[in-house]
Parts: sequence; C-alpha cells; structure tokens
Amino acid sequence: MRSSHRLAFLFMLPSFVFVALFSLFPIIDSLRLSFYRLILTLPWLGQKMVGWENYRDIWQDPVAFQSFKTTLVFVAVTITFELLFGLAIALVLNETFRGRGLMRAIVLIPWAIPTVVSAQTWRFLFNDRYGLVNFALFGSDSSHYLAPLADPHFALFAIMVAEIWKTTPFAALILLSGLQTISDDLYEAASIDGASAWQKFRHVTLPLIKPALLLALLFRTIDSLRVFDLVFIMTQGGPADTTNVLQFYGYKKTFAEGMVGYGSAIAVVVFLLCLILSIIYLRILKLDRIEGSAP
Amino acid sequence: MRAFSGIIAFLFLFHAVPSFAQANFLHFVTWKPEAPEVWDQAIADFEQQNPGYKIVREIAPQSSTQIHDLLVQKLKNRDARLDVFFMDTIWPAEFASAGWTLPLDRYFTAAEQDKFLSAPVAANRYRGQVFGVPLFIDAGLLYYRKDLLEKYAMQPPRSWPQMVEAAKTILAREQDRQLVGFSAQFKQYEGLVCNMMEYILSNGGALWDEKRMTSTLDQPAALEAVRFVRDRIIGEISQRGVLAYEEPESLALFTQGRAIFHRNWPYAWAIANDGKSSKVAGRVGMTPLPGFASGSGVATLGGWQLGVSRFSRQPDLAWRFVAFMTSRDIQKRIALATGRAPTRTALYDDHEVAQRIPQLQSLLETFKRAAPRPTTPVYVPLSNIMQRYFSSVLALPDTDIKQQAALATRDMNRLLNFLRERQMP
Repeated sequence: MRSSHRLAFLFMLPSFVFVALFSLFPIIDSLRLSFYRLILTLPWLGQKMVGWENYRDIWQDPVAFQSFKTTLVFVAVTITFELLFGLAIALVLNETFRGRGLMRAIVLIPWAIPTVVSAQTWRFLFNDRYGLVNFALFGSDSSHYLAPLADPHFALFAIMVAEIWKTTPFAALILLSGLQTISDDLYEAASIDGASAWQKFRHVTLPLIKPALLLALLFRTIDSLRVFDLVFIMTQGGPADTTNVLQFYGYKKTFAEGMVGYGSAIAVVVFLLCLILSIIYLRILKLDRIEGSAP
Repeated sequence: MRAFSGIIAFLFLFHAVPSFAQANFLHFVTWKPEAPEVWDQAIADFEQQNPGYKIVREIAPQSSTQIHDLLVQKLKNRDARLDVFFMDTIWPAEFASAGWTLPLDRYFTAAEQDKFLSAPVAANRYRGQVFGVPLFIDAGLLYYRKDLLEKYAMQPPRSWPQMVEAAKTILAREQDRQLVGFSAQFKQYEGLVCNMMEYILSNGGALWDEKRMTSTLDQPAALEAVRFVRDRIIGEISQRGVLAYEEPESLALFTQGRAIFHRNWPYAWAIANDGKSSKVAGRVGMTPLPGFASGSGVATLGGWQLGVSRFSRQPDLAWRFVAFMTSRDIQKRIALATGRAPTRTALYDDHEVAQRIPQLQSLLETFKRAAPRPTTPVYVPLSNIMQRYFSSVLALPDTDIKQQAALATRDMNRLLNFLRERQMP
C-alpha cells in the first residue's frame, strides 16, 4: 500500500514540477511584486516594499475602476450571447441530418482561427471607409459610413461582436457534449406523456444539460475576464479609454510604462476575480451533482 | 556505430552549430522600411565589408507604441539576441535611465555629433551622455490639395482658423459627399500627443513645465487649443473616423483624394506623389503647420535613431553597423529612395539630393525649429495619461474639458514628483 502511494507520488512529480515552474512560481512572484514599488525606468527609486499601497492606489484609481466596469460589462454580455447562440447551435448539431459531421467541423472554424488573425479581420470589417460592415449597411455611398472603432459608444460593442463570433463554437461544443449524454428514452417517455417540443426542452433537456451549461459558463467567464488580444489589435484601449479592459490596463502599466509593482497588483486582482468566480461556479456545480444524484 | 554517429550529428546540429554561429549574427530590430530594396542592399554591403558577419533583421510593427512594447520586453529580459534597434525620439531618456542602452560617446564623438542637426542629437542625450544616433528627422507638416486651393483662389492657410474656414468653403462649394476637410492622427496612441502638442504649443501653451516639473495642461492656453480641436477641427471639418486613425489610415484618405488638408510627417510627400499609390499625385502641396496667430506654427519633432543594447555581446560590431547605417552614403540612398529626411546637415547641401527632393531645402527651417517632446524617463506613463485625456475629450463632445484636464494634471504631477525629488540636490 505504502509503496504504491510512493509510486503514485513519483508519477505525479513531473506534472507537479511543471505546474510549479510555469504556474505557481509566476503567480507567487506576481503576488510578491504587487507589494513593491518597482518602476523600471526610475531605477534609483529601487525596489521598495510598500505594503498595500498598490492596492490602495487601484482602489482610488478612476481609470482602474472604469476598466473594471468595462471588463464586467464585457464578460456579462459576451457570455450571455455565447451561451444562447452556443445552445442554439448545439441543439441543431445534435439532430441527425445529412452532412452533420461536416457542419460540426465548420462551426468550429472561428474558434480554430488564432485570435490575432480574427481580430485583425474584424478591424478591417469595421473600418470606416472600406469596411464590409459599412458596405453591407449603406452600400457604396460612403457618406453615411459609421466608424465603430472610433466611437466611444460602439467600440466596446464591436469588440464584443468579435469575441462572441470567435468563442460561441467553444460554448456550443461543451453544450453538445452535454446534450449527447441525454438518453433518447427520456424523450420517448416525454412524447408518450404528450409533451410538446418546448416542454421536452424545458423539462428534459435544460435540467440535464445544466452541468454542461455551468461548465461552459465557468470556462467562458474565466477566459473573457482575461480578454486582451482583441483589444490589443482592434483599439489599443481607445477611444476615450472605453475599451481599456483590466488585462490591457495591467499590460500597459507593466510592459509599456515599466510600473511592475502596480501592474502586478492589477494582475493579482484579475487572478482573484477569476478564482472567486471559479469557486462559486464549482460550488454550484457540486451542489447540483449532489442534488441530481439524490432521487 | 551508426546510431552513435547519428547522435553526434544530432548534437552538432542542434547544439554546437548555433552557439558557434551566434557570435557572427547581429540582431537588428526595425520596422518595415518604405524602400526595402535600399535596406537590403545596404545590409548586403555591410555584410560584404565585414565578412563572416550576418545581420538578422526582426521586422516589428510600424506603430511606435507597439515597437516600444516589443523592445521593452526584450531589454527587460536582457535578451542577448538584440544588438541594434530603432528608437523613437522619445525613448532614449527612458531606455538610458533604465540602463538598457549603451552610452555611445566613445564612438559617437562630439566632432561627429557636430555633423548632425542639433535637435535630434539633443533628443538622444540623457544626463550628459548620448545614447543613439539619429537616422531620420521628422516634423509635422501640412499637406494640401493644390488643385482645390487653386480652384478657389486660396493661399495655403497660415493659421488653424483659416484652415477650418478654407475647408468649409471648399466643402460647401464642391458638394462632394466623399470629401472631408482634414485628416490627421487622433487615435488614442502616441501620435495623438504629437498632434495635440502642435495645437497647444502654437497657442503658447505647453504639455508640462520642465523646470517646475508640473503639468500645464490645465492652463488656459492648453485648454483653448484642445477645445478648438474638438469643436472646430473634428466637429466641423473632419469625420469621426479620424478618432481611430494612425498615420497610414489618415494618409490613405488623403491619397484617395478624399481629404483637402492633411497633417503628417515628411515621408508622406513621396507616397502622396507616387502615381501608383496615390490618386492625387502632382496635385499636392506642402507647407509648415499653421498656428493660432499667423506664422506661429509649431511642428512636433519626431524621428528615428539607432541604439545599441547594453546586453549586446558585440558592442563594437553593433557600433560599426550603426555608424554604417547612419553614414552619409546610406542616409543619402535612403533619402533618394523614400524622401525620408536625413539627419546629416551636409546632405541638405548635396546637389543630387536637392535635385531629386527639392522640397527638402525648404524643410530645413522647420526641422531646425521643431519642438521636441520633453525628455524624461517617465515619458511613456505621462504620454498614456495625456492620450487618455485627449481621446476622452475629443471623442466625447459633452465632457468637461477643464475637469478632465484637472484630472490629467493631477495624475501627471504625481509622476513628475518622482523626478522633482531627484532634481533636488
């Protein structure tokens, strides 16, 4: 018994070392740096321990607050639509029809394209002079053309569209796997009881894919909280700072301005947000499992 | 035996060769040049003069903001695969202060510095040492549609209000819905600071007071200039898309014949007059930027330098490359091919250059008078605060300029305080 324990530990060791090196160490180091004042371009200030000062600064920083709000709006809107569209796509792909295999592959394309490429594509689509979006709306008369990426009221919306387009397939994939675990017997039984299509969806499908929905929600929330590349390519945080999401702000602080301490503190805040949300979701999932297993 | 030699060959291929060959590579980070064939030739020439050495080029994005972030990543990590790199005119102080660039005084001697225009050399100095060699000089210029101005018997504008009026008149008479009055760079990025600085300085204002180390954006002269740009330039003669434009997009609008006036750097001249890429070739005029009072225009000093990484393993070779690329011969070749303005004064008297780029001589005055952005190691964070402020008030016409300026001033002063503490003896 004891030697098998030791063997198990031995087997786990490489992955533990890997995680420790590439995940744990950076997290702990960011945490450490977030308590220092360290500005790369002002080396004479040194690396000074300042306690909670960086966190107090974030609390009082209107830009950070605005960027926190922007991030939350972004997360809430994108995951809502991703799950809605994802569910619709999953339901269709779960039916048997000719060319289903091909359809399933095609749907995944947006997700397979590197974000940098799709962000660049969307930037061109939204261009105010030769963008396809404008052409589709107004034809060749360019005097009415809109400039979504230049407009503080639309820029975030444009980025959300790109995000939803890109990650809906991922939500669809997880939901589809949930749908496939539902036994056909249940639908047959519901049909015999005279349930309508809507009733079947409402009382059979929805409760049974709830774990898959929560899982998709968990993955998508964590992922979209960390949105960075779309903003980096499409707007660089502008116009008027309306697309300055937290991760981009932290990046700017750390890598462009050299304010390593403050930037790390922002990264830690994003990390804590992800952690708290994950714990909440996992709790709900677990409760759900326990309830589900008790008849 | 065969397996053994296979292993040896493998080790040789994947280990021995790179470490042996690395000593002969010089890594050069650049943006995509306008006349790549001239650069290819120059680099081939250098390699021929220095047998056994190869230049490895890494092409970075053209956006100053993005190449800056890329370089900071490499320098912060002390990347040995970075020897020579492009620097925007605002970076030498920052890079030098962080200890990332090599002081070049030993090579770039005072006698040699005298052969260059003084403003760009000054931009490369930090605390008494020089950290880069200027390659091109840039200054803001006003481009205009010569044909349209002639059609309505107008002179190139001498003041910003004149320009707005001229544009409005032409727009009203032309009745061309594709045409806008003015295109420039108003996206939230470094170019926005360059543009806004020209309005603020030509109205007698400043970004910040370099003696007292306090922001001056909340002063009346600066506030007035910002309000003018928002209400009259963007409000009356530009379209909103300009708020997402960097240099290439704003120039494209002009070369497509869709803008009457255009603010850009000297490189735009060659592109606007190239019949292959421009619909307005031959119908373009160029003049110093207007001011608020007539003739008080201020152009932002821009330009690119070559710097050497402090973490380079071969500083002597790196210097040879910098000296070669900024030599009279190469600067001349680049100028002739691209119209980029050289930094060596001798080239402004060069017969061939004068013949091929006749406008250069007239630019010399503008270059000499161009205003540098203040030299400071915290330029980037200061610039980010200013970008945020300018973009907010330009893109949201209802914001209170004074209130936003006060916020920006407060944030800037907090950073400037670090420097004020240092300045005190």
